[in-house]
Amino acid sequence: MKMSLQIRDLCKAFNDVVVFKDFNISFSNDTITCLLGPSGCGKTTLLNILGNIVLPDKGTLVGFDNKLFSYVFQDPRLLPWKTVRDNIEFVLSRDLPVSERKKQTDRLIRQVELEGFAGYYPSQLSGGMRQRVSIARAFAIPSDIILMDEPLKGLDVALKQNLIKWFLHIWKADRRTVIFVTHDVDEALLLGDRIIVLSQAPAQILTQVEIAEPAGNRNPEKELLKNTKQAIIDVLGKI
Amino acid sequence: MKNFFTKTRYIQLASVVVMLVCWKLLAVHFNSPFIIPHPEDTFMTVLSLFTEPDFLMVAGSTVLRGITGFLVSGILGLATGILAGLSPGFNAFITPMLVTVRSIPVISLILLALIWFNPGLVPVFIAFLTMFPFICTNVSDGIKSVDRGLVEMAKFYRVDNRRIIAGVYLPAIVPFIISGASSAMGIGWRAIIIGEVLSQPRYGIGTHMQNAQTFLNVDAVIAWTLIAVLISFAFEKIIRWAEHKIVTWVI
Repeated sequence: MKMSLQIRDLCKAFNDVVVFKDFNISFSNDTITCLLGPSGCGKTTLLNILGNIVLPDKGTLVGFDNKLFSYVFQDPRLLPWKTVRDNIEFVLSRDLPVSERKKQTDRLIRQVELEGFAGYYPSQLSGGMRQRVSIARAFAIPSDIILMDEPLKGLDVALKQNLIKWFLHIWKADRRTVIFVTHDVDEALLLGDRIIVLSQAPAQILTQVEIAEPAGNRNPEKELLKNTKQAIIDVLGKI
Repeated sequence: MKNFFTKTRYIQLASVVVMLVCWKLLAVHFNSPFIIPHPEDTFMTVLSLFTEPDFLMVAGSTVLRGITGFLVSGILGLATGILAGLSPGFNAFITPMLVTVRSIPVISLILLALIWFNPGLVPVFIAFLTMFPFICTNVSDGIKSVDRGLVEMAKFYRVDNRRIIAGVYLPAIVPFIISGASSAMGIGWRAIIIGEVLSQPRYGIGTHMQNAQTFLNVDAVIAWTLIAVLISFAFEKIIRWAEHKIVTWVI
């Protein structure tokens, strides 16, 4: 993998809590990188630094200039007073003609199979449907990088697997660089082209695994994935 | 079609009946139309007021003053409330003013307004000063309670500020605006009628109440009071209807 996006010598502290100290990490374009690690190790902070929500104390971001980001938050953050269609349309540039915005929104609604729910409000949708809208919204803008902060947290296993299916369905048709934060090893194994395990804060990379088999075709019961999972669990267990 | 006669409706009806019975008992006890007239006589007076040629001018003038005061305080309250909610500096600046206006007795405001304005404008001015703090405070509280996550999301997706205000802040504060409007209207009608009683514009419920009181027409005073209550009730219903029409996203 060619690592074209790099973070070098990142330092970040919140008061006395040092989250990153001379931290280095890299990502390759159009792949899914999963960040695994214990709570409070700085995974979300890393996403927020990349998304310019939090400023680093020190460090260099290479290859991120002029990149456009989308963010799939843990809580879908849909506007309760807007319908599914309007929530997606809300983030589209006003420079686009209305007809184009409608076309794009319709396409995404179809891709996440919510055609019958386009006029529904978030309160009328299930948790999984809301997160599908959030994923569709992330793909609505022509972003280069999609940041995903535990978007499947709190959902049951069947729903998680379905959401992973929806996500990969859209992603394969419209590849972007994805940085996916999770606590769940299974999620990482199903989605990640690369899995990075972080230590407790100040975060360091403990191990990283690349998975050659394309996401979407993986069987978690296969020996290779089972071994990878065990290796990751062993590393996490030592933290 | 929904059943109008729900349990709550029956309880509300019982409450009205209890009030009417108490009124009737007091009327029988005092046995004087100059102290407490009988309810049935008062209702006849209400009906006769409806048929008076200048009734629409009288009630309409009061309603118009209420609407004018409400619109002015609504527009200014919304603008200042949004600013106060978004800017802690502006909030610190406006809070002492709101507290002062809220604390001044209405009668002091009316006495000053009687010196400053013509009689027709006094109730509007009083309505504005009593309604404005409610709307401003509610809007400002609404802005402060807006989910930061939604604003962060909108900013992250580079939605421009104008659309963030129109698409995130304004819908989020609708329930606060409705609640502020309801409280403001409730207190506003009372202030308008007090203003009319003291400033005596040519047309106005307050003017007619004062005239009736001068001639000891207690039934007319109560009849105009009932009409004022009906107007206030009608506007409260309009506000709730508007809320129902606007806030469609809550199930």
